Amino acid sequence: MEKGYEKIWREKRRFILTAVSFAFLFYFLLPVSLIYFPETMNRQSFIPGVTWAWAYAFLQIIMIWLLGWLYHLKAKKLDKLTEQMIQEE
Amino acid sequence: MNLTYFLFFICIVVCTLIITYWAAKRSVTTNIFYTADGSLTGFQNGLAIAGDFISAASFLGIVGTIAFNGYDGFLYSIGFLVSYLVVLFLIAEPVHRLGKYSLGDVICSRFPGSSMRLMLAIGAFTISILYMIPQLVASGFLLRLLLNIDYSISVLVIGSLMTIYVMFGGMIATSWVQIVKTIVLMSGTFLLSLIVLSNYNWNIPAIITDVQAHSPLGEYFFHPGHLFDHTIELISLQLALILGTAGLPHILIRLFTVKNTFEVRRSLLSATWIIGTFYLMTLILGLGTIALIGYETLVATDSTGNLAAPLLAQAVGGDFLLAFISAVAFTTIVAVVAGLVISATTAFSHDIYHMVWKKGKSTEKEQLYAARWTALAIGLLSTIFALRLETMNVTFLVSMTFIVAASSIFPVLLFTIYWKKFNRTGVIAGMLSGLIVSLVLLVLGPHVMHPEHGLIGREAIIPLYNPGIIAIPLGFLGAFLGALASGNQSENEGDYPAFFRKAQSATRSRSDAS
Repeated sequence: MEKGYEKIWREKRRFILTAVSFAFLFYFLLPVSLIYFPETMNRQSFIPGVTWAWAYAFLQIIMIWLLGWLYHLKAKKLDKLTEQMIQEE
Repeated sequence: MNLTYFLFFICIVVCTLIITYWAAKRSVTTNIFYTADGSLTGFQNGLAIAGDFISAASFLGIVGTIAFNGYDGFLYSIGFLVSYLVVLFLIAEPVHRLGKYSLGDVICSRFPGSSMRLMLAIGAFTISILYMIPQLVASGFLLRLLLNIDYSISVLVIGSLMTIYVMFGGMIATSWVQIVKTIVLMSGTFLLSLIVLSNYNWNIPAIITDVQAHSPLGEYFFHPGHLFDHTIELISLQLALILGTAGLPHILIRLFTVKNTFEVRRSLLSATWIIGTFYLMTLILGLGTIALIGYETLVATDSTGNLAAPLLAQAVGGDFLLAFISAVAFTTIVAVVAGLVISATTAFSHDIYHMVWKKGKSTEKEQLYAARWTALAIGLLSTIFALRLETMNVTFLVSMTFIVAASSIFPVLLFTIYWKKFNRTGVIAGMLSGLIVSLVLLVLGPHVMHPEHGLIGREAIIPLYNPGIIAIPLGFLGAFLGALASGNQSENEGDYPAFFRKAQSATRSRSDAS
């Protein structure tokens, strides 16, 4: 029982740590790159007519939606495992 | 005020009062009063969270900031959105599982005791009031600008409405007023965005060309660096925005209004979708304002830029659309301040009156009675304060709230949930250092100390408008050192593994648990 919980928590922790670190890095790289690479950020990006600064800012919103959704899927799966464990007890 | 405006306002006031009447008949227990009995669905709560979070400052202020500063205005709004990931990943589920009505409950589920509860209650109360006063003051100015109503009357109307919602309808009325606000706000901004786009035949490059032609920034409008010229200010502000939400009591107590963690996650996901879409629309409105109205007219009408959205509405849809957008702004204000009143009320009546003063022994009826009177007192006092503050610029208190929340409540919550060696001394040290450092930095900073327009007429000792970069690490350090300094106290603090399991994996619903 204890081990089961621990395993589930370890999996959740791995996901949360990776996701939080990624989100912070991805987010703070935007202001940092605006400050240190202003020319590059004002150049056209992979979308015609849109500079890197704008493309990166829009990507932030997509990143937030995507990470939130991935976490939701993961947590749903882990909640189901916990529920199963409780019922088996 | 002409008839169109009047009809829109009466419609909103009547609708929200009907909601309050309906809610008042149901608010018969403390559980319903404080948390709506966990009866909201995730999506409803997501709408309410968005309604609680998007203030008039976001709606009107960000459109104006984008219109003036282009890129940097948009960058500002993204920070708010990222903060929801911090809440979702680290704070939301444990808070929902551990707390009953307030953040005090969350901390006391690990460290029971009056001093812990008092500390958290004071923190939550201070933050809610600090946030409410500038909102009320801003609302007074806003209604004066939009409708030509006297400042005092505007503040009195909004102050009375928020007090009535919370006093009679508790969390049910607050939640539904916020849900209605989000629906009205989203429809209003969506409609306005569509009109702007259709004005340009859905041709976005044409808007961009017009923006460059009408902004004094010209082609540099779309380049970063117009609002934040100091590296430290920029990073500091972003840090406070991203960590602040996870310490805002009025947002966190919304997590008690759903029945399980699945719905908690759905609440936050819906909130990020709604708020994200909203910020994308404010971008269209900001660009539309400059393209269609031009910088000169905007500045001539109101130099703060707060009237950008209403002016745009008038330009593209005439008086009727302006009346609608003004009504949207009005709903936005009342929904946010109602959320703050209930958060301050919970901190006082549940934590301080019921748990600390009455030692948890007051009856259900007494608690409800206390909660309603507290709501009335808080409503009255903040209205009086807001009336007195007409001549002072208090808008900086909004960004201060995020700093205080991120440097006091957030570190304490995070350490309580995740750090095995954390203890009571750490809670007190963390809360105090966060609160005190933020206030000291505020007093020593340029908001208060300024040679020309400061309360203290001299150069600021700490020249940071956003002192988050100093306050937040010091808040964490205070909590950390406090816990370390008290040595092995944590060994006597009960069973951490059991607490942690409860925080992380109890899947029972709130109603089963209670």
